[in-house]
Amino acid sequence: MGSDRTIEQIPYEDVNADVVRTMTETGRLYYIFLFLSMAGVVVLWGLPWAYQIYTGQGVTGLQTPAFWGIYLANFIFWIGISHSGTLLSAILFITQTPWRRSIYRSAEAMTFFSVMTASIFVFVHMGRPWNFYWTVPYPNQRGLWLNFMSPLMFDVFAISTYATSSMIFLYFGSIPDLAAVRDRVKGWRKEVYTILSLGWRGTDAEWHWLTKAYPFFAVFIIPLAVSVHSIVSWDFALSKVPGLSKTIFAPYFVVGAIYSGSAGIVTLMIFLRRGLKIEKYITKTHFDKLGMLLVVMSLIWSYINVVEVFTGWYADTSFETESLRYRMFTPPFSYMYWLMIFTNTVMPLFLIFRKVRRSMAPALIISLGINVGMWIERYLIIATSLPRKFHPYMWNDYIPSLVEVSITLGSFCFFTMMFLMFVKLWPSVSIYEVKEDIGIPFRRKKGHH
Amino acid sequence: MNPVLLGLYKYVDDMIDAAGRLRDSGYEVSILSPIPLGHEIEEALGEPKNHIRYFTFAGAICGFLFGIIFTLGTAAMYVLPRGGRPIFSATPTLLISYETSILIGVFFTLIGFFLMARLPYYKKRVYDPEVNVDSFGLLVDGIREDKYGEVERVLKEHGAKEVKRLEKE
Repeated sequence: MGSDRTIEQIPYEDVNADVVRTMTETGRLYYIFLFLSMAGVVVLWGLPWAYQIYTGQGVTGLQTPAFWGIYLANFIFWIGISHSGTLLSAILFITQTPWRRSIYRSAEAMTFFSVMTASIFVFVHMGRPWNFYWTVPYPNQRGLWLNFMSPLMFDVFAISTYATSSMIFLYFGSIPDLAAVRDRVKGWRKEVYTILSLGWRGTDAEWHWLTKAYPFFAVFIIPLAVSVHSIVSWDFALSKVPGLSKTIFAPYFVVGAIYSGSAGIVTLMIFLRRGLKIEKYITKTHFDKLGMLLVVMSLIWSYINVVEVFTGWYADTSFETESLRYRMFTPPFSYMYWLMIFTNTVMPLFLIFRKVRRSMAPALIISLGINVGMWIERYLIIATSLPRKFHPYMWNDYIPSLVEVSITLGSFCFFTMMFLMFVKLWPSVSIYEVKEDIGIPFRRKKGHH
Repeated sequence: MNPVLLGLYKYVDDMIDAAGRLRDSGYEVSILSPIPLGHEIEEALGEPKNHIRYFTFAGAICGFLFGIIFTLGTAAMYVLPRGGRPIFSATPTLLISYETSILIGVFFTLIGFFLMARLPYYKKRVYDPEVNVDSFGLLVDGIREDKYGEVERVLKEHGAKEVKRLEKE
């Protein structure tokens, strides 16, 4: 290990104590944020959604020809955010990257909660969510069945597989830590963590099978994550709509997802280390590495963006040209487009400087900026394509209503609420992997090696 | 049932030396540790086989077949004419089979782990919470009544900071 180590020497005992402390000791600020996020879920999400269900989809800005709007932009955005958590964790595990160890647990949780948030948007978009069971394959007298040729059906399989596998991946890697928590807590917590830890003792056999099974999960997760976002892109790319029907959409979406997810991790880690006082576990070295990753993803994302515009322009069809003109040079979309270019192409270039990568305030501004840009990207894909299809007499601008904007803001409250609950119920830093990072204690090799 | 001895160590190499010596003397030894020791243990006690891969492989194959049968089979049961498009189509079938291969492969891997590691197990077993913090435990079983002193001495000779006599069940 030696120079690979990302955290300072900390006694093993302190690691257990610190991680359990983050779960059991709760300050007033935590409750304030939890209350605010819960209130946000009810007021910004729950009530407007209830109003929409009661009144009908007419309260949204959806109308001919744009029947897909901000809800599906949010769906893509949250699926994208989910990508870096589990995917990055799996890639860094396969490549045995040491700086993964302190951050992967929270990143994996981020994946799970953002998939949850994204999935709820499918129901919000549906209009009549109580008819969801129509999409479930069950023998019925109406002779109806699922259309497996529809990319929406691919989505159902890909996202449910991703959500299930991510949850298993998160839980599986947590078993030893849940046992460590079990040994230190009392009361109801003791009972809960006794059940969750499955009777783990840390025998050589248990570790052996855990370390043998874990890589298989990681190997499954990587192609799965790539397939999920390419399939999400086909919801659009398999159509014939100008601005959507592009072969580059699959890699564009996957790269965008990893990019926004990585930025999401940076934002989350900044709040997490400060809020839980775990600066010695999530160090500036982590932000240094994540910053470099963001620069790489920014350059790839920018390149694909240029390719997308270039191939559209080079095709020189009136439909494609109109689609580009509408997105890049027609207000208000043009303001959003160029803001996106600024936040996602220009701003991340500052991360080339080590000082910027290791400073929390600039890293927070840049990572938040990237996700604002990535949200805009998802929004523009939908809002500038469907309203500009082939027949100009059908053109109509899509402007989201207050209900849609409110539900969008509510989704951020929902994600925050879920994550706040997570940090109190689950060890958000991996105890045993942090100990691995510290090193195995040997007598004959001068302390830890 | 005879009790077992649990030696608690601060250093891994001390514990591995004791484990090797006691195993060579015919005792059943197992290790309890707060972190995976992998290579360190394998060097001393030999590398166990990896059976999980068979579960994973079987799961992926079952998942793939399930995906094929599910999509093609139900397409045959519920024929949906879609403007001249084929009832049976390779691309969506393969796509969905790809996802189900992964899903069921993941499930089988998890089941494989549970079976091999014998988890979950909620009955009382020999355990000391210290081995989940900063101690490395060497559990010695199969000790004759007259040999406890000798085993205890070996454990301490190799640097055990504490030796506990624990009832098995």
